[in-house]
Amino acid sequence: MKINMPITNNEVVMKPNTILVTRTDLKGIITFANDAFVEISGYTREELVGSSHNVVRHPEMPSAAFEDMWRALKQNRPWQGLVKNRTKSGDFYWVNANAMPLFENNTVKGYLSVRLTPSRAEIDAANQLYRKVNAKETTLHPTGLAAARKVLSEISMGKKIAISAVLLMLPNILLLRDLIANENYPLIGAFAFSTLIACWILAHITNTTKRFFTSAVHELFRLSVNEFSPPLNLTRNDQFGDLFRGIYVAGVKLGDDIAQAKQANSNSLRIIQGLKYAECSILITNANAEIIFVNQAAEQLFLRAQQDIQNVIPHFDVQKLLGSSIDLFHSVPALQKSALDTLHDSKTSQFDLAGHTMQLTVKPVFETNGERIGYVAEWLDRTVEVKIESEIEHLVSAIKQGDLGKRIDLSDKNGFMKSLSININDLTDVIENVFTDINHIIKKLAEGDLTNSIHSDYQGIYAQCKDNMNDAIFKISEFILQIREAADFVNTSSQEMASGNNNLSNRVEQQAASLEETAASMQELSSIVVSNAQNTQNATVVVKSAAQLAEKGGEVVKSAIAAMQAINESSNRIAEIIGVIDEIAFQTNLLALNASVEAARAGEQGRGFSVVATEVRNLAQRSATAAKQSNELIQNSVQEVRSGTAFVNETGAALIEIVDSIIHVGTIVGHITTASNEQSSGINQVNQAVSQMDDITQQNAALAEEAAAGSMAMSEQSAKMTHLLNFFKVNGKSPTTHAPSSLAASKPAANTPSAAKSKKVVNAHFDEWEEF
Amino acid sequence: MKVDAVNSKQIEQFLTFELANEVYGVEILKVQEIRGWEPVRVIPNTPSFIKGVLNLRGSVIPIVDLRERFSLEHSDYTQKTVVIVLCIKHRRNESFVMGIVADAVSDVLDIKIDDIKKAPNFGTQLDTRYMRGMHVYKQNMIMLLDVDKLLNPDEVDDIEAISDIGSFE
Repeated sequence: MKINMPITNNEVVMKPNTILVTRTDLKGIITFANDAFVEISGYTREELVGSSHNVVRHPEMPSAAFEDMWRALKQNRPWQGLVKNRTKSGDFYWVNANAMPLFENNTVKGYLSVRLTPSRAEIDAANQLYRKVNAKETTLHPTGLAAARKVLSEISMGKKIAISAVLLMLPNILLLRDLIANENYPLIGAFAFSTLIACWILAHITNTTKRFFTSAVHELFRLSVNEFSPPLNLTRNDQFGDLFRGIYVAGVKLGDDIAQAKQANSNSLRIIQGLKYAECSILITNANAEIIFVNQAAEQLFLRAQQDIQNVIPHFDVQKLLGSSIDLFHSVPALQKSALDTLHDSKTSQFDLAGHTMQLTVKPVFETNGERIGYVAEWLDRTVEVKIESEIEHLVSAIKQGDLGKRIDLSDKNGFMKSLSININDLTDVIENVFTDINHIIKKLAEGDLTNSIHSDYQGIYAQCKDNMNDAIFKISEFILQIREAADFVNTSSQEMASGNNNLSNRVEQQAASLEETAASMQELSSIVVSNAQNTQNATVVVKSAAQLAEKGGEVVKSAIAAMQAINESSNRIAEIIGVIDEIAFQTNLLALNASVEAARAGEQGRGFSVVATEVRNLAQRSATAAKQSNELIQNSVQEVRSGTAFVNETGAALIEIVDSIIHVGTIVGHITTASNEQSSGINQVNQAVSQMDDITQQNAALAEEAAAGSMAMSEQSAKMTHLLNFFKVNGKSPTTHAPSSLAASKPAANTPSAAKSKKVVNAHFDEWEEF
Repeated sequence: MKVDAVNSKQIEQFLTFELANEVYGVEILKVQEIRGWEPVRVIPNTPSFIKGVLNLRGSVIPIVDLRERFSLEHSDYTQKTVVIVLCIKHRRNESFVMGIVADAVSDVLDIKIDDIKKAPNFGTQLDTRYMRGMHVYKQNMIMLLDVDKLLNPDEVDDIEAISDIGSFE
């Protein structure tokens, strides 16, 4: 017995609803293991397939159990039991194992083992049982009495019926013997008849039951070899009918399942065929990273790279790729087990495999319940692409650095890459031509040759560049022609300027003389203004005293007005008194008249009194007359005083106006004084200005001389400029060839400040120019 | 008494006064008193020439403005304006007192009866009953008034009524 060591106490619990399936040949060599089994066992499929099934045997498993299983299998019976298995790492797992023989043409060709997930209670019970068996405390099969009972209970049905019939018959036979002894024939006949009937029914039942079981078993075995239309009698009404119907339903259901499985299979077959001939290279692995699918593109990809890959992975063979582990590519980080286990989504990586640049996209495949059941890897050999990329990159970087001589080699290219390369080369040609042309033109420009232009045909920005370049050259040459003309003109002008400067110098001297005269006049003017200011100050004093006198007169007028008013008031008073006197006279008159009336009434006796009354009345009338005259006089006087007052008031107003006028005159005189002072200072400033002007005029004279000299120098410079401009070769007009250099050479005295001298020189120039 | 005076000397005394620069005269014996102008109590609903009534020591006397009575130009009252209180005879020989307003009193003249010229005859249409006669004095013509006839009998009745009312008060 094989003992697999080591073992650990770690239990690997089977996931619910998992089915572990293996098939073995008659010797127990594994011919097939499903993914679930491979995964839980910890072995690779290569390790499992071809080796004996006992590689997963756990040492704690009693050998009696396996003996029991093999005994059952050899008898073509299925076997069922809980089994403790060992993984490669020494861990253990419990399975509910179902082993059965596989029939093919009614002969056993191998064994099928289907393992289901056991419940925890079953595991505990089995664990206990096996421990006891290992300790020899019990056996798997009953022994002794229990075994006898089992043997008895498992005797075949026919034998049991026969025994029971014999046992039934025994008392009857004894009874029959008695009856025969008693010669009771009718009873014997009846007895024999009923016994025969009973035996017949019994035999019939036995036959029927046997036939039934035989056919049921036959049909069930037929199910196991995928024949699903059991020709069973479904119309029976007894328990056999129920059993047939059960079998029938199970069979039909099984047929349906298989049809669905076939359907699913053909679906997946179509997808697999599609994948097989897809353009992209696909590898598919199961959860254990074993390659279970390689499509044609992938095969060709690896075939192309096979020789190179074998340098790195010596045993690499495309034909053996299917079924081998992805660990083959252990040098590829993205395909290492640890990387794959943590992968949850598609991941793209690029790496170098034996000189081939591979782009690999790995995506895990999940069952609907989230279980990881494999990986899809899409390969892309980007070697050629990368090569082109790098070539283009080199070319572009060369262009960036100004090296336009490089081109992409077209010999090893074809298709898209070739046309791309040709286009890039064309592009480089164009750029090179453009820069060569521009370079040539600019080089010529540097040499002063402006007669060249670009004639090549270009398009777009290059054409614009070409046109602009040609325009620029044309413009520059035009400018140079114009500058040349301007230089000639400057030369002429500078000569003229020199003579003009001399004239200027003379005039400036005249100006200086005039300025001196002006300064003298200004001095005189200044002294006049000063005396003017003095006079106005005297006038101010006079005006002030006049103002004081006028103010005094005003006060006198005011007191006169007051006196007049007093006279007026007195006159009014007198008039009032006179009025009183007049009133008294009036009243006296009235009284006298009344007295006269009374006297008249008195007649003769009143005559004397009448005379007196008349006298009184005369007095009263005289008094009234005097009062009236006095009143008139007083009124006249008052009138006079009033008009006098009016005159005096007018006088006062006139005096106030005089005072105001005098003050105004004083102010004006003050203004005149201020103005005279300002005038004086202004004249001083004018004086200063004149003297400054004098200075400036002197400087101007000097500057005019310098300017004359400068214009000579300018003339020389313009001659030099003309000479320099001759450096440029321009279309259309040959360089002017007057001799400015000789002119400049003949003017060594150009910088001398003497105006007269330079003037002569200038004149000489003029002569020469006129001759020229 | 009047008879005596006429008989004895044939001279009559007249009190002259001015009215609109003309001189008028009344018999002095008809004069009761001469007073200076003082404001009067106006009596409503009377002819315009009746200025009102005056309280003369307890008796109420009507005051007549002669300017208005004679349809002369109206003038303001001055300090010289006087009231001449007259005692006139009524048609039933009853006397009653009234005042006339004059611009000023002039004089007391002794005039001989013979020197009094008759009032000129202007025809019957004109009411000149109040004129007693004219007297020429120092180039002035003095119109002598018959005070008893100064007012129409009806007017006198009206004035008397006023006066009576005043008396009863």
